[in-house]
Amino acid sequence: MVNIDDLKTEAKRVLKGGNVKYIIGYGRASDTWKANPVFLRSPEDVDKLVWDPTCFHNLVRFLVDEKRRKAKEKPPDPRPVGIVAKGCDSRAIVVLLQEKFFERMDVFVLGVSCESTGMIDERKLAGKTAGKDVRRVAFGEDQKFVVETDAGTLEIAASEVLADRCLDCIANVPVISDHLLGDKTKRTVANPFRAVEKMESLSGDDRWSFWKDQLKKCIRCYACRSACPMCYCEECVVDTINFAVTAETSAEEKAQRIKWLEKSPVGSENVFYHLVRAIHLAGRCIDCGECERACPVNIPLRMLNKKLEKEAKELFGYDAGFDADQPALISCFRDGDPEDFIR
Amino acid sequence: MTEEFEPTIIAFLCKWCSSAGSDLAGVSRMEYPPNVTPIQVMCSGSVSPLYVFSAFHRGADGVLVSGCHPGDCHYIKGNYYARRKLSLVKKLLEYVGLEPERFQVSWVSAAEGQKYTRVIKDFVNELKPLGPQTKLRRSP
Amino acid sequence: MDKILAKKDYSRWLEKLGSYRIFAPRKRDDVWNYEMVTAPDAERLEDVMTAVPAKGIVFPQREPFFEFAETDDGTRITEILPEGEPVVVFGVRPCEGRAVTLTDDVFGGEFEDHYYWKRRNATTLVGLSCGAPPSPNCFCLSVGGSPHSKEGLDLLLTDLGKTYYAEALTKKGEKLVLEGQKLFTAPGPEDRKAVDKIQAASRKKIRRELSRIENVPAKLRGMFDSPFWDDESMSCIRCGICTYLCPTCHCFDMADEVETSTPLLGKRVRTWDTCQFPDFTMHSSGHNPRPDKASRLRQRINHKFQYFVEVWQKYQCTGCGRCISLCPVGIDIIQVVEKVRDHGA
Repeated sequence: MVNIDDLKTEAKRVLKGGNVKYIIGYGRASDTWKANPVFLRSPEDVDKLVWDPTCFHNLVRFLVDEKRRKAKEKPPDPRPVGIVAKGCDSRAIVVLLQEKFFERMDVFVLGVSCESTGMIDERKLAGKTAGKDVRRVAFGEDQKFVVETDAGTLEIAASEVLADRCLDCIANVPVISDHLLGDKTKRTVANPFRAVEKMESLSGDDRWSFWKDQLKKCIRCYACRSACPMCYCEECVVDTINFAVTAETSAEEKAQRIKWLEKSPVGSENVFYHLVRAIHLAGRCIDCGECERACPVNIPLRMLNKKLEKEAKELFGYDAGFDADQPALISCFRDGDPEDFIR
Repeated sequence: MTEEFEPTIIAFLCKWCSSAGSDLAGVSRMEYPPNVTPIQVMCSGSVSPLYVFSAFHRGADGVLVSGCHPGDCHYIKGNYYARRKLSLVKKLLEYVGLEPERFQVSWVSAAEGQKYTRVIKDFVNELKPLGPQTKLRRSP
Repeated sequence: MDKILAKKDYSRWLEKLGSYRIFAPRKRDDVWNYEMVTAPDAERLEDVMTAVPAKGIVFPQREPFFEFAETDDGTRITEILPEGEPVVVFGVRPCEGRAVTLTDDVFGGEFEDHYYWKRRNATTLVGLSCGAPPSPNCFCLSVGGSPHSKEGLDLLLTDLGKTYYAEALTKKGEKLVLEGQKLFTAPGPEDRKAVDKIQAASRKKIRRELSRIENVPAKLRGMFDSPFWDDESMSCIRCGICTYLCPTCHCFDMADEVETSTPLLGKRVRTWDTCQFPDFTMHSSGHNPRPDKASRLRQRINHKFQYFVEVWQKYQCTGCGRCISLCPVGIDIIQVVEKVRDHGA
C-alpha cells in the first residue's frame, strides 16, 4: 500500500530545498470526492496531496502548459517541475522525452505505483453505488476499494469498477522516476488488445456502422485533444486558422488557406477529425484513457487509438513510452517492415 | 442503357519514379483507364496521412500512393518511412470500415510504364463493383 | 390553464402530436441527450438532466444561413431560413427554460436574429419541475431560479406520482394540451396542494449554494488584472466542455463551407464556438488579447457574473451545474465565484 505520508515527505523535501519550481499533484477540494490537479508551491502545500482510486487524471498534460509558460519567463527558471506520476503518466513523460519536447532535467518525477489495482471508472462506480452519494473512495486490502457513501461504507472488488484502461494496463509501475513509491511488482495482462480484436472480428460494414454512429455523437468540443498530453501542437491541423498572418497578408491569400475540414459537427467532419487524431497518435498514445474520460458524450475513443497501438506492436515491434532514447514510430523503420500490402 | 459507374482515383505519385513511370506509359501510348487524377509529390515519404484522408473526404473512390522501390528512393530513405506510415493508414481505414480495396500503395519505377498501367487497370476493376465511396465523403 | 394527465397517458398524448417533431431525453451509451422521438407509443418521460441542454434545439450547433453559387448571371445568394416546423421538447428542466429567456434577450431586442426566432417561435418547451435536484451540483436557487421556475417554458409538468400536474403558461402550451383532448382532466383542490407541497420541499433539496453574490459584479470589475485568475486557471485544460454544455452560452463562429470552387458553390454556416478555445480571440494580425487560460477563465466568469449583469441585470448562469459535473479537472464555478466574493476580505 502506498503511504500518502511518504509522498508528502518527499514532496516537502524537494519544495523546501527549492529544487523544483512547483509540484503538480493530486488534491481534493473539501466538498468533493474526486481528486483534482493541484499545484504545490510551498512546503506547507503538501498537505493537499491525496492518493486514491480517483486520481485518474494524466497530470503530464500540465507539463505541456509549463513549457509554454517557461518560454515567456524572463529570466527563465531552469529548475525542473515536480510531478506525481502513475505508470501510464510516466510513459507519457517518456514519449515527450523521445520527441525532445523537454529535457530529462526539466521534470522531477514522483512516481507512484498503482500496485495491483488502479483507478476507478466513474460510470462503473455509479452503477455499483446506485443513487447513493459517494463521499470518499480509498484503496483497500485484497484488491478491494473502500467506498464511503452517505448510506454507509461498502467494499467493492476493484476489478468491478476499474477503468477499462486499467484492466488493460501494461505499466502499473512508473517506468521513469526520481523517487518511486509503492510495490514495484509488474502486472501482466494476458491480452491488452482483446477489445480491438473483438472489433476486428466484425465485418467491415458492421465496423463502419459502429464508428459512424459513435462519431456522429461528437460535438467537437475537442476535450479529447485538450486532455491528451501528446496533443501539444500550437496549431492543430484541424483548426482552420493559420497563425502566420501579417498585416500585409491579402484577403485572397487568407481565403486560400488550407482548410482540411469544417467546424460543423456533422458525421463526415467528425470522422475526419478522429481519424487524423488517431493517426497522429500512432506510436505515441500510451492509453491513459483521458480522452475517453473527458468526452461528454461517451465516445469509445480508446478503441480507435488502441488499434494503432496494436499495429505498432505487431507490425513493428514498437511499444510507446518505455525507452526515452527510442525514435518515434514513424521516424524510424526496419528492413523487414511488412510490405505485403504494396503492389 | 444504364451508365456504368466510373470510379475516381486520386494518385499521389513520387516525382522521381512513379510519376516518371506514368509519363513513360503515356509517351509509349500504352492504354489504360482514364479514371486517375495524378498528383505529383516529391517523395512517397512526403505523403501525409492527411492527403489520403482528405482525398476520400472530397469524394475520391480510390486513393493510390506510389513511390520508388525500396533501396531506390531518390532521397535514400523516404519510401521506407512511407512504407511504415502508409501501412498504419491502411490499417486504420480498414478498421473504421472503409473497404480495403479503396486505398492502395505501389512501387513503380521510372522504367515501369507497363506496371503502372497494370496497377491502374486492376485498381479500376476492383473499384467498379464497390460503387461510389460514400463513407468518408463529406456531406454537403 | 391547469390540467391533470395520467402518466400512463403520456405516450398516448405524444401519439396525438403528429404535427410536431418531438424531442425528449433518451439514454445512449450511458449519456442522456434530447433525441427525436420516432415511436411515441413506447415513450415515458424521463426525469433527468441531459448532457447537451435544450439550447441546441432553438440554437443548433450548425445553422446554414445562405447558399452562394456562381451562375452565368453572376453570384446568386439564396437565403436558407429554417422551415419553422412545429417542434415540442419534453423534459426541459426549469433552469434550461430560464436559460432560453437569456438567449432570447441576446438574439432579440433591436436586432432580431431571424434564424433563432424562426425556430424559437415554432418550439414549444414542456418543462418538468424538479421534485429532487437532477444533479448533485444544482444551484438554481442561488442565481434567481427555482426547481419549478416557469420562465421560458410553455408548459410545466409536475410529477405527482401517478399523474402529472400540467400548467399551461402560454398559448403554445395551451395548444399542446388541447391536442391531447380527453386525456387531460380537471385538477382537484388536493392536486394543487400536492404540487405546492412538492415545490416547497424541492427548494430544500437543492444541495449547493452560491450565496451573498450581490457584490460579485463590482468585485470582478476590480479584479481584471489580478493574479487570482492565474491560480484558478492552472488546472484548466481549455477543452470547451463548460461552454458548449452551458444552457446560456451562445457564442458562435461563421464559416464559408465551399463545396466547389469552380464553379463557386457553398454555404455560409454558423457553428457554436467557445471563448475557452485559444484561437477564439485570435486576430488576423496574429495578436491574441486572451492568449492564456487565466484571461479565458476570467472572461467566462466576467461574462456570466459581471458583463451580463451590467447589460441585462441578470446573471448569465441558471445554476444547472453541468460545467461542474462535466469539467474533466473539477473546476467548480461555485468555488471560483465564492473566492471572488471573498477576495481581499
